[in-house]
Amino acid sequence: MFASKGKRLLQGLLVLLVISMAAAGCSSNTTEKSSAAGDPQATKTITMAWPRDIGPMNPHLYNPSQLLAQSMIYEPLVSYQDGKLVPALAESWTLSQDGKVYTFKIRSNVKFSDGTAFTAQLVKKNMDAVLHNKKLHTWLGVIPLIEKTEALDDTTFRLTLTESYYPALYDLAVVRPVRFLGEAGFPEDGDTSKGIRSPIGTGPWVLSEYKKDESATFTPNPYYWGDKPKVDKVVVKVIPDAQTRVLSFEKGDLDLIYGEGLISYDAYKELESSGKYVTKLSEPVATRNLVLNTMNAKLADLKVRQALSMGFNKEAMVEGVTLGLEEKADNILPPNLPYTNIKVSPVKYDVEQANALLDEAGWKLPSGVGVREKHGQQLELELMYDKADQTMKAMAETLQAEWAGIGVNLKITGVELTVYIQRRKANEFDMNFYSTFGAPYDPHSFMTAVVQPGYGVSDTLAALPMKAEIDKKIKAGMATTDDNARTGLFSSVLTTLQEQSSILPISYIKQMAVYRDNVTEFKFPSNRDEYPLQGTKKN
Amino acid sequence: MGIYIGKRVLAIIPILLFSSLLMFVMIRVGPVDPAEAYLAAAHIQPDDEVLAAKRHEFGLDQPLLTQYVQSVGRLLRLDFGHSYLSNMPVWGEVAQKLPATLQLASASIVLALVVSIPLGVLAAIYKNRLVDHVIRVFAYIGACVPVFWIGYLLMFFISVKLEWLPVEGRGSVQHLILPSITLALWLIAIYARLLRTTVLEELKEAYVRYARARGIKERVILYKYVLRIAIAPLITGLGINLGKLLTGAIIVEQVFSWPGFGRYFIEAIINRDIPVIQCYVMLSVCVIAGSNLIADLLQLFLDPRIARKGRASQG
Repeated sequence: MFASKGKRLLQGLLVLLVISMAAAGCSSNTTEKSSAAGDPQATKTITMAWPRDIGPMNPHLYNPSQLLAQSMIYEPLVSYQDGKLVPALAESWTLSQDGKVYTFKIRSNVKFSDGTAFTAQLVKKNMDAVLHNKKLHTWLGVIPLIEKTEALDDTTFRLTLTESYYPALYDLAVVRPVRFLGEAGFPEDGDTSKGIRSPIGTGPWVLSEYKKDESATFTPNPYYWGDKPKVDKVVVKVIPDAQTRVLSFEKGDLDLIYGEGLISYDAYKELESSGKYVTKLSEPVATRNLVLNTMNAKLADLKVRQALSMGFNKEAMVEGVTLGLEEKADNILPPNLPYTNIKVSPVKYDVEQANALLDEAGWKLPSGVGVREKHGQQLELELMYDKADQTMKAMAETLQAEWAGIGVNLKITGVELTVYIQRRKANEFDMNFYSTFGAPYDPHSFMTAVVQPGYGVSDTLAALPMKAEIDKKIKAGMATTDDNARTGLFSSVLTTLQEQSSILPISYIKQMAVYRDNVTEFKFPSNRDEYPLQGTKKN
Repeated sequence: MGIYIGKRVLAIIPILLFSSLLMFVMIRVGPVDPAEAYLAAAHIQPDDEVLAAKRHEFGLDQPLLTQYVQSVGRLLRLDFGHSYLSNMPVWGEVAQKLPATLQLASASIVLALVVSIPLGVLAAIYKNRLVDHVIRVFAYIGACVPVFWIGYLLMFFISVKLEWLPVEGRGSVQHLILPSITLALWLIAIYARLLRTTVLEELKEAYVRYARARGIKERVILYKYVLRIAIAPLITGLGINLGKLLTGAIIVEQVFSWPGFGRYFIEAIINRDIPVIQCYVMLSVCVIAGSNLIADLLQLFLDPRIARKGRASQG
């Protein structure tokens, strides 16, 4: 009896295994590999991977709605392309002399994906929904300045600001929160901060199939006013693990890997060296800077800052840590952004000169001790970094070793992201990494950070003798409607900041793309948050 | 037996209370302020006004004791709050993701038992012979190699090179095979070794000698008597290992893009989504305490001597 029981137990287990496998089979309602490269039956589909689910696709909110989906479904009034603002849902616009009133001529042939017309009234409705939750959006400079929104007729929208603010149009070009949802997408009370009914936009794509946490399929919007997408489908698979993304791509399940930090530097290099795929790096999208806090008495001395700046081999560090996938930076902001193309003389790696500067500043190296001293105090500094960021960590370790060579004792502290934000806000650090935002946010977002406390830049510059003057120039540059005047003012600010060595440029961050050779006409978008899917073809 | 079961069930309550207190304290003394964590997850600049409003909304401006009592009250109602990230009720999201995790975990357990029982018995029968050595080396490797690495290896060879199975995702039987093998492998390693040892021990017992003397066939002795007793520790082991299975599932779900609870938890950690983390920890405590209880009861059924011992100790 017992023997048969044992046997029955085993049989039972086997049956359970089969049932659970079968259950898995029954729940299947997706077709795998529909888009795999080389399948002649397949419609023209581009399959790509994303680390997270695309989210509720609310155009007016942030996480967990993903920029990827928001930029495919919704459109801005004006679009940022190659450093310039070009018409999008607004055909044209005018600005009043005092720089406060923008009047937009709305494109008249635009329809939402449900076939309803896009009108100035809907521009107002969306804008008001955003303003209803102003507090959420104050990080975007134009939002707190909006005084009035008006739909003058079906195709004329007027935006009145409380003061002149040149980046207003750049702010309207960002992916969120000022993009436009169709009438049927609004909840009953119109408050989109609590959710939307459905993602109805004017953009080139519509969401046609969605499996939360698994995949999202986009097809062309039949009512799209602009150039039609060149493929029939875009499938976005949710693959949270970077290595799995690479293996999935190698197997042929993905056609394209695109984005920042989506795969490791090593994996990119490996795919590149295989020679089987197309690998591309974008133009610089942002600068990774090191911020030296002038409120620290030691770092208040220009000579110390300059010594630190020339006391490490930047080129070797960037090459070593990022395998050359970031590029050594000489400018605080990438020179391919508006108003940032200033000539700077690159800081040369010069240990002798660095030592001499520290000597001049009074920091002497006592014999037998590795750390410089002044008035009995050691030259000891702390560099704080986000401990989840491996690139920052590796760079911090390199700096520690490099500066030890010139008698500086660098302590490196990896902290939790929230602690990092708290300490940065309270200006409680000697040094810290600071990455600029990229297009279309910069240079004005960087300039705001220089003027306003709390972003980890302004407070660190407070001890500069010309800080007040810098602030004045930035404010004037933000308000003027004269482009030449602004170019002059911003150039002057950036030049001064470069000379003061309180913000040390390290590297230019770039976007990576890896794709199969049947994917063509791929182009990196100018807007850092947008995705290059509209013009991309598949053969 | 009823009293024994009743006592064991009641013992879970202080464990849950203690866990909830521990978690409450850890969140309050930790460097992460829940209100700031919320704003960071939502990508909102944490200015003082918004922070104060959020602290009030979360009840963080209340005395600590009030906060704790309220949080226990909510837990009792299975109200784990709203996710900072999605703004949806955590329990609803968890309930949505649990089936995928349960499917993966049950497939792995079944696979582990189906494979490890014959392996363990074979290793015991062929003690110190080639079959035994091979099984022991396999068990050794299975127990030592990190789960995620096994996952990548399987993906690379089975999916990318041989193209037999999909790399990732959920939806068909094929999708289930590699993740459940990955998750089951270390269980197989542990159980095969455990079973080998217990079978060998049982074979030395007097009742086996007696059965042999009566001329009963070896096969019958093995299946009729030995295996029934040798399997009991395996079930206890399963109860204890269920917690580890949960942690293993987190990694496997991440590696194979399996849309389950574990992956939801990882995302919560990355985003400091405290309500989700809280829910995961509490559920894990329940699962571990519950599975230990079930394992004990099953053992009671398989080996009634335990209940007798229990009764004896009660006087």
